[in-house]
Amino acid sequence: MHITMVKKIMKDGSPCRKCADVLTQLQENKLLDKIDQIVIADERDPDSEGMILARQHKVELAPFFVVEEEGQAAEIYTIYFKFVKEVLSEQISEQEEIKEIMQQNPDIDFL
Amino acid sequence: MTAVTFDVDKLAAEYNDKTPSDILALAIEHFENLSISFSGAEDVVLIDMAVQIKPDINVFSLDTGRLHPETYQFIERVRNHYNIQIDLMSPDQKQLEKFVQDKGLYSFYQDGHQECCGIRKVMPLRRALSTLDAWITGQRQDQSPDTRQGIPVMQKDNAFSSADRTLIKFNPLAGWTSQQVWQYIRENDVPFNELHSKGFASIGCEPCTRAVLPNQHEREGRWWWEEATKKECGLHVDNIKK
Repeated sequence: MHITMVKKIMKDGSPCRKCADVLTQLQENKLLDKIDQIVIADERDPDSEGMILARQHKVELAPFFVVEEEGQAAEIYTIYFKFVKEVLSEQISEQEEIKEIMQQNPDIDFL
Repeated sequence: MTAVTFDVDKLAAEYNDKTPSDILALAIEHFENLSISFSGAEDVVLIDMAVQIKPDINVFSLDTGRLHPETYQFIERVRNHYNIQIDLMSPDQKQLEKFVQDKGLYSFYQDGHQECCGIRKVMPLRRALSTLDAWITGQRQDQSPDTRQGIPVMQKDNAFSSADRTLIKFNPLAGWTSQQVWQYIRENDVPFNELHSKGFASIGCEPCTRAVLPNQHEREGRWWWEEATKKECGLHVDNIKK
């Protein structure tokens, strides 16, 4: 398995706060060494590696994770807790998962 | 057919300009295990269209426990009018009791609505969706220029799919305007929630929904005390599509 994390640099050159939060959590939970590669999606540069991956996988959120296994289509995870639970097999509380799902899908509470 | 053999991106492009009934027919034809998410508002048009294709279509509603009496009455009216079963999904009792004990009944006016919506709405929604291969929503692009503008008529549901199960989400009304929905309701004598006659455009829980004035956007009737949050994690669309 090969895991790529894509983090974003915003138009003004500052790092995306959500990406920084996710990196901190990976570090605190000692999961950072399970990420094989971290690439940048620089909003100022459409040809940056992360922006190319975002286009390729039709992703509009950052950070996101590309999980590749030989002979299989790449799986994309835009929800951090889901990635941690399903790919890294770590325990996550339902509240944490739901909170992130709602943050990433601001329309869900309008249902 | 399951989601695995359903080419959702290709079909979304193909069905982009088709009618809501065409989209519903495709969904019903391809997925036996699917359900309509009914909010108790104008998305009743989906039920009206769907029962003409499949009279015993599955429907569920999220009963947060805080809906208006008019909405409960309307759900019951729809159940009787179409002679269908509507599964009411309730919040987890233990989680709800703890939340109310810790924070009271109106914490959303101070803390924001997300925590309450998470327990009363999104967790039961996830429970309902965990049993399905596909679901149908009444989401429309005109409901929110910020967050719903890009809603396709069908999509893989990334929020609720899991590693071993792909969930497909159909939004047959994505391209319709509020005006088209109400024209359909009037022309087809579709029952509607009494709250609409009292100025409510978007209908949610009673403490978090209010009537709007003419020409006021429907979203202004929901969580009006909160400021619109900035999306900080989106990748700039112009760059993505380049």
